[in-house]
Amino acid sequence: MASHEVHHLFHNPIADHSFSADRKTLAVARDNNVELYSRSGNSFQLQDELRGHDKTVTGVDIASQSGRIVTCSQDRNAYVWEPSPTGWKPTLVLLRLNRAATCVRWSPGETKFAVGSGARAVAICSFEAENDWWVSKHLKRPIRSTVTAVAWHPNGVLLGCGATDGHARVLSSFVKGTDERPEPSVWGERLPFGTVCGEFLNRTAGWVHGVGFSPSGDAMAFVSHDSSVTVVYPTGPEQPPKAVVSVSTQLLPFTSLVWVSESEIVAAGYDCEAYRLQGDSNGWQLTGSVEGKRRPGMPQEREESALNKFRQMDLKGKTKDDTQLPTVHQNTISTARSFQESGAHVSKFSTSGVDGRVVVWNL
Amino acid sequence: MATINYRTIDIDALDPDSAANFDLSSLAPDVVPVLTADVQTLAGQVRQLLRGGDTEGALRGALENVPYGADQQGKEVHLATVTEILQSIRQSDMSPMLQRIYQSEGGSELLDVLMKYLYKGMSSKQPSSSKNLSPQPTGFSQIQARGGGEGGGQAMSVLLSWHEKLVEIAGPGSIVRVMTDRRTV
Repeated sequence: MASHEVHHLFHNPIADHSFSADRKTLAVARDNNVELYSRSGNSFQLQDELRGHDKTVTGVDIASQSGRIVTCSQDRNAYVWEPSPTGWKPTLVLLRLNRAATCVRWSPGETKFAVGSGARAVAICSFEAENDWWVSKHLKRPIRSTVTAVAWHPNGVLLGCGATDGHARVLSSFVKGTDERPEPSVWGERLPFGTVCGEFLNRTAGWVHGVGFSPSGDAMAFVSHDSSVTVVYPTGPEQPPKAVVSVSTQLLPFTSLVWVSESEIVAAGYDCEAYRLQGDSNGWQLTGSVEGKRRPGMPQEREESALNKFRQMDLKGKTKDDTQLPTVHQNTISTARSFQESGAHVSKFSTSGVDGRVVVWNL
Repeated sequence: MATINYRTIDIDALDPDSAANFDLSSLAPDVVPVLTADVQTLAGQVRQLLRGGDTEGALRGALENVPYGADQQGKEVHLATVTEILQSIRQSDMSPMLQRIYQSEGGSELLDVLMKYLYKGMSSKQPSSSKNLSPQPTGFSQIQARGGGEGGGQAMSVLLSWHEKLVEIAGPGSIVRVMTDRRTV
């Protein structure tokens, strides 16, 4: 029963990870660099390193069609890396931010990307062929605090962003000349750059760790630091949402979420485990851990000899070795992403954490 | 001409983008202002229930009507009310009662409120409990012994055993929500 695949890459925290479209290349953010691993057999081998940032890298994303990699860092910069015969070639992006960049994601069309930052702004970056560089436009209003997460709507125009002011917002990032006019959706019809299509606060106003649109784009979920998952179903422009469902859990807060289907979400975070949630606009509930009860490979409690027990007592002051968590991840999970989709469902997802592991889970 | 001390100029006030110019009230969930008199009326009603022996009803009543919008004084009054209820519930009744509240509609929210009061009770130096009320004996004999001289130790041990029971039922999530929630008690 291979329910998951563990890749313990190193003993450093992984701030973010991303797989290439063929899932053979894995990019992970490690300290000031991004490391590229390539699959050989069942494991991942270090292949290349993207050096250029001089502070902690906070986000990395591989575009699934073009293969370009975008990275952002606390040094307030973002780079777009393109493969060339002599290796990866970085292009600096003019972010014009005066605080750290916290997260980055390509839009579904891959013509632009969004960079969240501590400067209370999201930079929407698009390529300007005339000058051969990436320029950015800022979404500033009404963001009041550091942006911790960004997520794209499937139409490539709407952007979900979560911030430490406790709000999850849906903003329009329509860039003239780059984007096609989007189809009207529940979020709005006319969407010039900067339109606020929704602003949501959960009960406690806890800061938001992660956001995500449902596969259809008609619902948005966010996880925040009050250990809750909130799902929003909008009705239409300028109208109150049809339903805002908030699930407060008994667990530690989640940091990231993945929509599996329209009626299922997987969320992971400080409990070092991924959990499933199921529901619809009438209500959501936590249905349990993805890991199941216990990991099969975990050593069971063995019958200890008395001698061994006293020796342990003498050496460590306790008889049981409790330095290992019963979960696969041994520390907080920082990012969860979809790994494989079959039809409208996500069949595999990947998580990376502070323990330096990247795990691919079967659902 | 008066010399301006440039060090004392509040530059944040001059910067339109500065965080100091934000209306901070929009960051917090809406709370309805509550008058201290109303809190006192509620305290009276809750005591009535308590005298009638309906401790669970009293606890629910106190937790359902949290005066988030009250001023400092009103909040203190309500803290005293909650502490009084907590002290009048026997230790063996705690878990079953919490379990019942948790399983009822909106119960997890009520337990989050209770957790807030436990932390507030533990943070205040002088537990605002009526001293003549005899607290129930709990398992924390050490703490009782230490706190004996201060008089607050007994109340504290009651809060600690409530805390233990509450975490068993509501999990660490409720502790995180106490720290996160902008609606304070």
